Amino acid sequence: MRIVHYINQYFAGVGGEEEAGRGPELREEAVGPGKRLQSLIGDEHEIVATVFCGDDYAAGTAEAAEEILSLTDDHDPELVVAGPAFTSGRYGVACSAVVAAAHERGLKAIASMHEDNPGLQDAGAAPVIESGESARRMKGTIERLAAAVQKLAAGEHLGEEDGRISRPRRVNVLADAPAAARAVELVLARLGGDTERTELRPPDFDQVTPAGPVEDLSEASVALVTEGGLVPAGNPDGLESSRATLWLRYSLEGRDSLPEGEFESVDGGFSTEAANEDPDRMVPLDVARELEQEGAIGRLHPEYLVTTGNGTAVASAKHFGVEWAVELHKAEVQAAILTAPGSPPSS
Amino acid sequence: MSWVSPGESARIVKVLDAVEPRAKGDGAGGVFPGFLSPARPVGLGTTHVLRGAAVVAAGYLPRAQESVVEMSGEAAQLSPLGSTHNLVVEFEPSSDASWEDVDTALRRGLLKLAVRLAEAALEADPTAVEELPAAPAQAQDDRPRVAAITNLQTQGTFKDVFVYGSSMAGSLPTLIDPNELEDGAVVSGQYGHPGLKNPTYIHQNHPVAAALRASEEAELGGVIICPEPVDQAQKELVSALAARLCKTCGFDAAIVTKEGGGNADADIALKVDALEEIGIPAVGLFAEMAGREGTAPPLVAPPTKATAMVSTGNYDEELELGEVERALGGERIDLRDVDAHEAMEIPHAAIYCALNPLGWGRLTCEDAT
Repeated sequence: MRIVHYINQYFAGVGGEEEAGRGPELREEAVGPGKRLQSLIGDEHEIVATVFCGDDYAAGTAEAAEEILSLTDDHDPELVVAGPAFTSGRYGVACSAVVAAAHERGLKAIASMHEDNPGLQDAGAAPVIESGESARRMKGTIERLAAAVQKLAAGEHLGEEDGRISRPRRVNVLADAPAAARAVELVLARLGGDTERTELRPPDFDQVTPAGPVEDLSEASVALVTEGGLVPAGNPDGLESSRATLWLRYSLEGRDSLPEGEFESVDGGFSTEAANEDPDRMVPLDVARELEQEGAIGRLHPEYLVTTGNGTAVASAKHFGVEWAVELHKAEVQAAILTAPGSPPSS
Repeated sequence: MSWVSPGESARIVKVLDAVEPRAKGDGAGGVFPGFLSPARPVGLGTTHVLRGAAVVAAGYLPRAQESVVEMSGEAAQLSPLGSTHNLVVEFEPSSDASWEDVDTALRRGLLKLAVRLAEAALEADPTAVEELPAAPAQAQDDRPRVAAITNLQTQGTFKDVFVYGSSMAGSLPTLIDPNELEDGAVVSGQYGHPGLKNPTYIHQNHPVAAALRASEEAELGGVIICPEPVDQAQKELVSALAARLCKTCGFDAAIVTKEGGGNADADIALKVDALEEIGIPAVGLFAEMAGREGTAPPLVAPPTKATAMVSTGNYDEELELGEVERALGGERIDLRDVDAHEAMEIPHAAIYCALNPLGWGRLTCEDAT
């Protein structure tokens, strides 16, 4: 099979963090970890091209995956391999976006990363094979990936025994009995001591290690970000009230507050009345400006980032989080205040 | 008001609440206590039910999210209203009315209309008679007594549920007899998350209570209604007290249900965990929020001790709806910004009661092979 391999700028050997903003490029050969992969998958399969891209660009640009794949159009790939990304978040997100887009195009696609990588959930229906935690585990990781690539190329199903860590896709079906009747069956099984039977397995959420404290807030650039759906009145860019698929940015330049009537929350998950009466309650620009003028914070980031949290899939939220982190990191922001809405306490 | 019936090439959009027509005969008290009759305990005597019919409000209210009922095609079986004759009430608020007043008037009107319809059939011979004994105070035989713990959404106006006419917000877990539900002790005023909604119609026909009553191996112990507080400490308190109430009542197990999205997952998760912690086996009914492709984590707040979960389907998965000749409730589907008659792809989340948290439906999820 004709294979295209996706890797980041670091594994392509073109540079580290200083090259993270670099756009995608193509080489007509196996590069970096691809060389070992090529030697393991034999003559039957050929890495016809390697595409590499900077992590910031790949994880922080909405169309990056399409751009990466379109570079390969002239090479007629049949299978796309991405990674291994190990625990590197931006790289993992990019690998997942590439294989998800390749799968949507009807190509076979497979990624490799560690199970704690935040990109894991973005791979869509494409399989993700477990890698070690870091490049020190490259050898075993590539061997496992090579075996999985060969199985995938042969049209075989990849399961846990192949190191598959992406969850199987869940599809809606109609059961024979209503959910309430199934609950009665399940409660009887549970009463009989069965702790295995269930229709649904809980997801494993990763734990995020908090960043260290800001050393000197009076020198720091601080951003305001929100999942409270606060947008200019009339919602000009169509942010969803629920199940968000996008995030937006709006300028705060020249403003000391967010006046009633000029901004509104479109979030469908809480009573927006108080937020709409004073949008500063959702994005606290008024007090943030005061702190900036007092010198308590160095500088307020000139725009706020916004999405809607209500009903938004965890995978989408994670993706937005990575994009926001890239965005703020690039802008040299040291701290962000993330506001989330809640309904008023029960009366 | 207009009728729409199963099999018609029709669609109801912007569906708010739905009520099953019910009435009491002479001298037997009233239905919908706290709204149409005094707020006194109900659930005794004879209740007349106009089975196969529903009174449905449809139109714009703030915070209500787009919801759709199909009267024909594959999607008709995803909603209880897809197989009932529906009297659809559309409305136009007076320009000086507050939305809160519109909501109150609509609810009152809907309940009155439901009673009026049922009363019209009081003289007719019943096609079926069901006897529903009150839940027994003690075990009647060696079958396990199972509680139906029913979380009611309490997130303020347009996202509220009423018990005997008052919001459940701020209340502690309360044991009620399942027959109180039959007479409309619980009325919905909750218009968010249409796929995850529990309309009054479904409270009147509580699926878990009905399934336990139908079981030969388990006995319905009682119904414990709980609010879904928005505050974490309150969620924990209500959950611990619900578990303790089960223990006090001597229930052997519990089935826990919710209303609403991810926030309400926490209320089930805390309760099933609190129950298992004190040795009462518990099952939770969850909907999956696994993204369009079904590959994202399905729950935002999973239980950590309890293991038994029923899935009522993935609310993000999309399905296709065909073109229809007739649309009620509105001219457009805002979620897709299309004419309400058009064919469209729409998530299960927008199909009224498709993933009903009280367990009405047959929708579930499987792993793709």
